[in-house]
Amino acid sequence: MTTLDQKPARAEGRKDPWSQMLEKVGKNQDRQAYHALFEHFGPQIKYYAMANGLASHAEELVQEVFVSIWRRSCLYDWRKAAASTWIFTIARNQRIDMLRKMKRTSAEMPVETEDLWQIPGENDDEPVTSLHRLMSERRVRESLSHLPEEQITVIAKVYMESKSHQMVADELNIPLGTVKSRVRLALNKLKVILQDQNV
Amino acid sequence: MTRHHPDTLTLMEYSAGNLSEPHALCIRLHLDQCPHCRSRVDTLDSLGAVMMESQPQVGVSSDMFDSILSRIDSEPDMTEKYIQSQARRMSPLQKLLGDNLNDLPWKRQLGDVSVLDISERFPGQSEQVVLQKLAAGGKAPVHTHRGDETTIVLQGAFADQKGVFNQWDFVVLNQEDEHKPVAVGCEDCITLSVLSAPVKLTGTFTRLLNPFIR
Repeated sequence: MTTLDQKPARAEGRKDPWSQMLEKVGKNQDRQAYHALFEHFGPQIKYYAMANGLASHAEELVQEVFVSIWRRSCLYDWRKAAASTWIFTIARNQRIDMLRKMKRTSAEMPVETEDLWQIPGENDDEPVTSLHRLMSERRVRESLSHLPEEQITVIAKVYMESKSHQMVADELNIPLGTVKSRVRLALNKLKVILQDQNV
Repeated sequence: MTRHHPDTLTLMEYSAGNLSEPHALCIRLHLDQCPHCRSRVDTLDSLGAVMMESQPQVGVSSDMFDSILSRIDSEPDMTEKYIQSQARRMSPLQKLLGDNLNDLPWKRQLGDVSVLDISERFPGQSEQVVLQKLAAGGKAPVHTHRGDETTIVLQGAFADQKGVFNQWDFVVLNQEDEHKPVAVGCEDCITLSVLSAPVKLTGTFTRLLNPFIR
């Protein structure tokens, strides 16, 4: 049914199975691939919504994210981002959008969510093949497995519960400086920290 | 080439979607011109994806996929429309302020400084969002900042004791930063600032001269 266990073609060696499926949705409106993505990412997005305090709108968010995936899939380029990264940014934007719309009408929003938060590969004239982009997700996954639990906990609260560093400090009852240093240590290992501020 | 970049922790809050709209705008404008920070955000977005995948998962209703399919079937031309809307997409700055920053309804404050408060373009936000224009070669009065002030240079350049800030440079100032910026180069220097609290003048200027305290 799905292509998960098929060996990827040689030229597509770096493309993970989810990115291959997302590409099929974009190129051929492949509904089987779309369904496989839904089965895999739907439950993740539902948890994301619930962790973010959107429990009563969690399924609505999952739906919005998948409708958005379908519409935009024609623009998806696996060389710009892995499918999971691309889908995370869509889920993040749909969450921001949902919260904005709960607060006001669209007429009051001269700047759209996507003017502020971009989806990788859209509106972006970067040279297409960037090794950094291809490697980043794999590297992050590997590095993350070596991080101490206390660092992962802090990062999880920032990403999954939209908490500011101050809110994380209050919740864990530790100083703000400790939260920041845990994040810095983690990001350092993930090589996100700028080595030289004057690049 | 930009030389002053957002702090990594701020980029992480951006990637997580936790910044206010005006702060996100400052980051977005910087990212548009800074491949280095773009690549840091790419990695941070991947971190978000990996975090999402490592959390518990919650089953979705059995009929949800069918309702998604019926939704996409009811709007068959959306993909095409979507591509067109992307092609027409304006830069956020152009959308917000139009094509010519110099033609905005600037309010002259004192000598070389003009300001324009655009906070109302971000309804529901508690921050003050202000454009400041320092005439070419002009000087601003000495001032410090109450709370954090995030600034991005939209046009021209300014210099203070910390260095030169060129177009698309990003800087955060707080109460410890007393500075006296000077517009350098032959163009007026225009900045966009997001203020969490009003600026405090430290020189001999009266509060009437302070653009941020009325």
